[in-house]
Amino acid sequence: MTMDTAVLTEVVIIIVKVMIVAGVLFNLPIPLTWIERKVAGHIQSRLGPFRVGPHGILQPVADGIKMLLKEDIVPEKADKFLFKIAPLIALVPMFLIFVAMPFGESVNLPYVDKEITLYISDMNMGILYVLAVSGLSVYGLMLGGWASNSKYALLGGLRSAAQMISYEVSLTFAVIGVVMISGSLSLLDIVRSQYGGVFHWNVFYLPVGPVWFVIFVIAGMAEMNRIPFDLPEDEGTLGAGFHTEYSGMRFSFFAMAEYIAMTSIAALTTILFLGGWDDPFGTGILPGIFWLMGKVAVLIYFFMWIRFTIPRYRYDQLMNIGWKILIPVSMANILVTGFLKIWVP
Amino acid sequence: MGAMKKPFGIADLIKRIFFLDFLKGLSTTFRHNVSRSVTLRYPDEEKWVPYRRFRGRHTLNRDERGKELCVACELCVKACPTNCITVVPVEDKNGRGISDRVAAVWTVNLVRCLFCGYCEDACPTTAVRLGRDFELACSDKSCTFFTKEELLVPQRTPEYFKGGVIVKARLGRDKIKGVPVIVPYFEEQKPDWWLKAK
Repeated sequence: MTMDTAVLTEVVIIIVKVMIVAGVLFNLPIPLTWIERKVAGHIQSRLGPFRVGPHGILQPVADGIKMLLKEDIVPEKADKFLFKIAPLIALVPMFLIFVAMPFGESVNLPYVDKEITLYISDMNMGILYVLAVSGLSVYGLMLGGWASNSKYALLGGLRSAAQMISYEVSLTFAVIGVVMISGSLSLLDIVRSQYGGVFHWNVFYLPVGPVWFVIFVIAGMAEMNRIPFDLPEDEGTLGAGFHTEYSGMRFSFFAMAEYIAMTSIAALTTILFLGGWDDPFGTGILPGIFWLMGKVAVLIYFFMWIRFTIPRYRYDQLMNIGWKILIPVSMANILVTGFLKIWVP
Repeated sequence: MGAMKKPFGIADLIKRIFFLDFLKGLSTTFRHNVSRSVTLRYPDEEKWVPYRRFRGRHTLNRDERGKELCVACELCVKACPTNCITVVPVEDKNGRGISDRVAAVWTVNLVRCLFCGYCEDACPTTAVRLGRDFELACSDKSCTFFTKEELLVPQRTPEYFKGGVIVKARLGRDKIKGVPVIVPYFEEQKPDWWLKAK
């Protein structure tokens, strides 16, 4: 049976796209750790890493070498199989999210004159897929906490499960709001519905857009386990939380998962609320993908900025914010959004 | 939410809805983010030069003709609370007929020294002074014990330099001399951002 050339080309293009996305994502934590430490330093009037390379830019490489050379400790009474597989369970779903993530419309490749699309797949229910897959990564945290056979790790894992349940609800509500505004479950169509400059973006769908945006960002920060919601790895009370017993590369897998989660939440926020690759002023100076990257970068800076501004919430405060504020507000907001969609043309 | 129930006005509500406290905090951290960092990049680029009153390593002075000021009276030895100075006096027959009392040995044990400055207070000829060298670390015992010849060498910070500022410096890497902090030139006093920084 011979394969059609066009089909073969499609397959090759998809494989190349997957490899590029995976390669970029795999290397993304390297600059992000450096940027995070620099932001931390400058917010605290320090310099941050400065010794390795110019302005400490090679510091993540040195850290990576250190992590690789460290002894890979598995606690004697740990569940060996789960302990070893948990970092991967935390990391892999973060890559899977980007299968459905669009980075732009299609571009025309020069020299070969081939039109390629800047997304791996345009699922017609992409947002559901993203939510489902991102929900899987919490199993890594829970299993890691459980398999470590340590009280701190177990408490961290339990907390991550509870936090996940509490905030996934309001995150999904915010997504429902966007779906109602845009009228599609496909991420590509959600972006297309926001074309035409900054006032067409979902965040400016007044009066509900900003509320959805705030709910989504807060719930997203809780999803990616960062300060002020990093209760699962609360070093003040839990040692290091779910990764107390992890060292070396397995630990850095958890760290990588956190950074890729941050990127994915930033990209999702951009796509759902900030118009994706849409040029805010319609100037058309830059290709769309640079606008997308710029917006993601600003959001990532924002997350880091918040991390070094706000202290960690107490556990009961976390639950209060999730159940008593975010969910009622989202429910009321869904009502308002529905009325707006029906009665406001 | 807490134990104390404060009256909850409309201003509080607006404050909460628009995250005003939160924005205040964010603006504070952003100001710090774009402000100059207070880190002193000490060995590589900058160095704090102390004031003249600073009490660092000892130095032995000479007079304007190059003669040693020390008359080996051993008052510094007597004043020293930790007995870290050793002076052995001899008669110097090379004078103008009158034999001078000079120090054959003048050593200081910097491990014991507590840099109190009693020796320079006791000294009648202002021969011994606590200078401004404070980078005394080394990887063997050689820097714990200074002899007269080493102490007679003028210290790296010149006497005319008022100090109390940060100057440009760099870290010298020398196999024999170790890693001294080299100040290439002592420039005039500049307004000092480091002291004003909060």
